[in-house]
Amino acid sequence: MLPKQRFSLPKELLMLHTFLSQRARTKPDALAIIQGQRRVPYGDLERNVSRIASFLLRNNMKKGDRIGILSKNSPEYIAAYIGTQQAGGISVDINFQDSVHEIKTIVNHCSISTLIVENSYITAVADAVRETPSVTMVIGIERRSTGASAVRDKFPSRIWYTAMSDIVSHEDGKCVSSEVTGADIASIVYTSGTTGRPKGVMLSHENFLSNAGSITEYLRLTERDKVMVVLPFCYSYGKSLLTTHLMVGGTLVLENSFMYPNIVFDKMVEEGVTGFAGVPSTFAIMLNRSNIRKYRFPELRYVTQAGGAMSPQHARELSMLLPDAQIFIMYGQTEATARLTYLPPEELLRRPGSIGRPIPGVEIEVVQEKGLPAGDGQEGEIVAQGKNIMAGYWNDPEETKKVLKEGRLYTGDIGRKDKDGYLYIVGRRSDMIKSGAHRISPKEIEEVILEMNDVHEVSVVGIPDEILGEAIRAVIVLKEGFEPDEKKVQRHCQTKLASFKMPKEVVFADELPKTSSGKVRRYLLKDLNQVSETAR
Amino acid sequence: MDFKSQIKNYIIDNFLYGQNDDALGDDVSFLESGIIDSTGVLELVSYIQDACKIVVTDDELIPDNFDSVNKLATFIIKKQAMKSKEHIDASETTVLPS
Repeated sequence: MLPKQRFSLPKELLMLHTFLSQRARTKPDALAIIQGQRRVPYGDLERNVSRIASFLLRNNMKKGDRIGILSKNSPEYIAAYIGTQQAGGISVDINFQDSVHEIKTIVNHCSISTLIVENSYITAVADAVRETPSVTMVIGIERRSTGASAVRDKFPSRIWYTAMSDIVSHEDGKCVSSEVTGADIASIVYTSGTTGRPKGVMLSHENFLSNAGSITEYLRLTERDKVMVVLPFCYSYGKSLLTTHLMVGGTLVLENSFMYPNIVFDKMVEEGVTGFAGVPSTFAIMLNRSNIRKYRFPELRYVTQAGGAMSPQHARELSMLLPDAQIFIMYGQTEATARLTYLPPEELLRRPGSIGRPIPGVEIEVVQEKGLPAGDGQEGEIVAQGKNIMAGYWNDPEETKKVLKEGRLYTGDIGRKDKDGYLYIVGRRSDMIKSGAHRISPKEIEEVILEMNDVHEVSVVGIPDEILGEAIRAVIVLKEGFEPDEKKVQRHCQTKLASFKMPKEVVFADELPKTSSGKVRRYLLKDLNQVSETAR
Repeated sequence: MDFKSQIKNYIIDNFLYGQNDDALGDDVSFLESGIIDSTGVLELVSYIQDACKIVVTDDELIPDNFDSVNKLATFIIKKQAMKSKEHIDASETTVLPS
């Protein structure tokens, strides 16, 4: 059964680069991006996008080739991302926090041919590409002039290195592809899989634009909007800020960290920011460890949170602190491009803990074990359909079949609806850990720890954390004759895992609690009293 | 051990898991290098408040005070000097009972 559709865009407007070209034609001097002292108007952004697209096509990029991008948020990231898609390529985001091992895994999994890399990560990439035969070109995003030849020497001779600054200065932008359609895959975004193997979510141009259209509609975004972006574009939430604001001709104000919130607040005031987006940990820091109470944001008209419901306490405090801003709580998944539901601001204090109702163009059902719809208040799996649902996982039909059935996405999240149709998340079907806004597979961390010679068995669980929601705990049973060494385990993990997947706590036990069939009783490991009974 | 070495050891132990590899020079920016993130800086604040017996206000959580080992050391010296001065001023203005 095909999903019913309500929200649709005209065919010619199903790609982000067409919006960009239109805006660059009508208002070339309007600001697209602000970062530090840099101000990039739409005209300049569109020119750089076309030059990158033209360069890729001239250098034998074929439609559907995978182009990896490894960079923090910057005007260059945006140009690389849209330029790749304009040329008919598929952009693959590689998280800048990934380890060399993870970079290699992703590059090999989808056979990336070209990597566009911020120079801070060149050494890690040079190390990774020694074992990734598909890569033939690396384009460096240089923040400081480091000398192309010095960088080139880091790579094996089969790889051609060039700097993006040379491309945008010398390319004429005339080589164009006319073959891209809305149905083509625009991007692959990797998520943590329940099997421990990363999964590449394939998203089409139409997925992105239909989801962005819905978000634009309920947030009432216009060209006057300026959003403060502290979330990385390599995640679906960050990416939706990019897509929605460029779609309406608004402005993206980039700050690459929320480490010093006061710096971000100063910038919000200075630039007259109208929107702010964060995950639960962003708001926990904002409310508990910043001087936000000393600020006034006269232009701020909306705040969004996704990646978890907002606690009633935070909702009340934030409403009092930002009385003129509308606060939207939202829910989604990478497999749904970004967004599935939102809680209208007027319901925030009335329905504490709710993630709201479906966004325009999305239908949601809560389904019980045998596929029957759950009644009001009954728990079941959240199932979604709409034009924003992914095409599948790259090269992984088995995993795709598990979550995509008859055009519907089985989210793995367990929820319930109240009598008015508002949704509440009550848990996960799998053991995935939710730390910050990251969904992390315990299996992936367990596999890495099991590589250690000392380890007999291990189980990884999420434990409550005030800021992150959940922190990661690894409970390890050692082989005979080995001594517990927490730092040794963490050092090993550091070489293989992104920083947000690092176990914050490592506990050693004589054995893991198991069911009679041998399955680990993970819930017992969340309580240290249960673990310490067997701890060394 | 001076508090600069103490802070450095804390960072190496908790954010680099005991392995320095010269990544943590005294002037290396925590933000630029990615050694510490937005939640890590909160752990660092708690640690120096306890270890150096100072109180860090929300206004003081800025890169000029926190973004490298050297900046942090300068900040702590300044805070401790302010604390001693407040202590001396308070004792000088105390009127002893006659």
